[in-house]
Amino acid sequence: MHPGIYGPATSSGFNLPSNALVALLPVLILVVALDAYCLVDLVRAKSARGAPKIVWAIIILLVSAPIGAILYLFLGRNRGGRQDVRAPGPVPAPPQPARAPSGALAPGSALAPGSALAAGSALAPDSALVPETTAGAGAAPRQPAVTTRALTKDYGGAGLFDVGLLVPEGSVYGLVGLNGAGKTTLLSLLAGTRHPTRGTVTMTVERNRVAVCPDVPEFDGWLTVFEVVDLAGSLVAPGAGGGAVAAALRTAGLADSAGRRVAGLSRGMIQRLGLACALVGDPELLLLDEPTSALDPAGRAEMLGLVAAMRGRRTVIFSSHILADVQRVADRVGILRDGRLLYQGPTRELIDTYLRPSWLVRLAGETAPVAAAMTGERWTTKVETISADTIRVDAISVEAGEHGIPAVIASCGARQVSCEPAAADLESAFLALTGAEPLASARAGTGAGAGTQASLIGVP
Amino acid sequence: MTTMIQTANRSRMNLWRLEWLRLTRTPRALTLGAVFVFFGLLEPAMSRYQSQIFRHIGNGLRISFPAATPAQGISSYASEISSIGLIVVVVLAAGALSFDSHHGLATFLRTRAGNMWQLLAPRAVVCAAAAALAYTAGMLAAWGQTSLLIGAPAAGGVLAGMLCGAVYLAFAVAVTALAASIVRSTLATAGISLAVLLLLPVAGTVRAVSDWLPSTLASAPASLVSGAHQLSHYGPAFAVTAVAIAAALLIATLRLRAREI
Repeated sequence: MHPGIYGPATSSGFNLPSNALVALLPVLILVVALDAYCLVDLVRAKSARGAPKIVWAIIILLVSAPIGAILYLFLGRNRGGRQDVRAPGPVPAPPQPARAPSGALAPGSALAPGSALAAGSALAPDSALVPETTAGAGAAPRQPAVTTRALTKDYGGAGLFDVGLLVPEGSVYGLVGLNGAGKTTLLSLLAGTRHPTRGTVTMTVERNRVAVCPDVPEFDGWLTVFEVVDLAGSLVAPGAGGGAVAAALRTAGLADSAGRRVAGLSRGMIQRLGLACALVGDPELLLLDEPTSALDPAGRAEMLGLVAAMRGRRTVIFSSHILADVQRVADRVGILRDGRLLYQGPTRELIDTYLRPSWLVRLAGETAPVAAAMTGERWTTKVETISADTIRVDAISVEAGEHGIPAVIASCGARQVSCEPAAADLESAFLALTGAEPLASARAGTGAGAGTQASLIGVP
Repeated sequence: MTTMIQTANRSRMNLWRLEWLRLTRTPRALTLGAVFVFFGLLEPAMSRYQSQIFRHIGNGLRISFPAATPAQGISSYASEISSIGLIVVVVLAAGALSFDSHHGLATFLRTRAGNMWQLLAPRAVVCAAAAALAYTAGMLAAWGQTSLLIGAPAAGGVLAGMLCGAVYLAFAVAVTALAASIVRSTLATAGISLAVLLLLPVAGTVRAVSDWLPSTLASAPASLVSGAHQLSHYGPAFAVTAVAIAAALLIATLRLRAREI
């Protein structure tokens, strides 16, 4: 006889006494509850992982309980497939500014509602897109926010070598280079997530005022957007409160997504979320690794606008292999190749230095007389008719072309529509610097180029 | 609208709440509770009706088992949990502690936390507390079932067994934290932890050290309920386990701090 209170079970087959069945009832309830939970969860979910919802329903119901339900919880549950009901709602839009911002981007630029740029930034459209030519060259020197000396991270021949970075306070510094050039390594060393083999990093800002946004931000998918930024804020600025979170979300264009689960966000929104997390502590130094890599053209323009708007208020170092992005927002640029810093200085100066002495001249009438006259000049090396109204003029130097072209056009009595330097962008400068040697004749024209270039463009 | 603004403006997150949400918004808490309570309810019944069960599945083959005792009901739960429950705890802890397995997440946390202990402590403590709670819930279920089906076990033995099992699971979480500081991936973390924890009882076959090993605590409930040992018998194991937990967490903190991402 068992010492249990209900005595032995009946011996025929599996006939348990009714009292024993009562004892097993909690097990049964637990299993049924788990199956029911999984089924309800499956019904509420937009989709399931790994298999269609109907397949998971069959697995939950038919595979030996509760194994089917446990399989679903671990393998099939789509955590981002529904709206979070516990998360705070959308962050309210900020009060409208008293005056209409002249710097708002043009209609059609697809700004996210509630974003800082949509709400109004102090940027003029062009100022956001054109680097300040005076910021690095002519303006008074600013205190360095970041200085590195002989910074080296040696991964057995690869890595970063003897980098001497100088980032002025309040500047937007663009790090450019091919894949594997060392951009991410340099940013990691600045962020403190990697340790240098040798060399030093000196910052004038406190470590807790440095914010980092990696190229592929990752967050726990079951958190809401608000919670992620709130967590970031609680770590770097505990006293900032929810207002700072809301402001960061608005700036990043995520005000309407505050209650959404991270798992349901697109890659572009994750990148915005990374930026919001970086901004919530109001950092003095912002390190952005490829901040536009996952964004569509509209999102890219908005992100670049945000970065440009920070100029003067905080120091930004951002890496990119999209040279046009760097040219648009960075007032200073550093070019890395094979772990070495090839160039560092004002973006405009770099472009001017490697500017090829070549112009595209568009005329309002016959091009042949002008082309013939240009060919006869001693300072031209090549004159080529590109189309019915455009000729390309190559000169021996920038200075010679800038003086000579307007003079020849005027002497021919031709009407000029435009005259712009051919390939006068960061890409050509980058290629010249990292690939081919810059033209000696181009160097001869440096200096005058920056000042007189504007006079060549759009001369009537 | 006012409520919405107030809700949105309320700052609530911190690293401890993060761990609470990790438990409650993912299947972690549910899995832990379900596994431990399930076996707590099932094992005493299996002990009580093992003769009938074997007769049913054995096609007439008769196997005679001695009458089940209350200690058997508890020990069968402790035995089952020391393998399946341990695996569940380690896998869940590895998921929380191996935050370096995702570069973006590691960057987010490491560049914001003041120090590594600030990151590690909530994860280890909440995991250990959740495991201990689940173990306790399972033990209570086993206690109730055993009382109902077999007979009431000694209350003191059950409570002491709960303490031993909970401390052992805390040790398992600390070992997982240490493993997470050695390797990065969640799978490798869980694998190393389980290898250490499942092989540790092998060392217990050496009599000289058997009473000192943390794994002794995993099997302690059976001896405590049957009256074979008193809680004081496990004093050395408690001491070694406490030191091992502290050492594992300290080493994990130092290793994680030195690690580059």
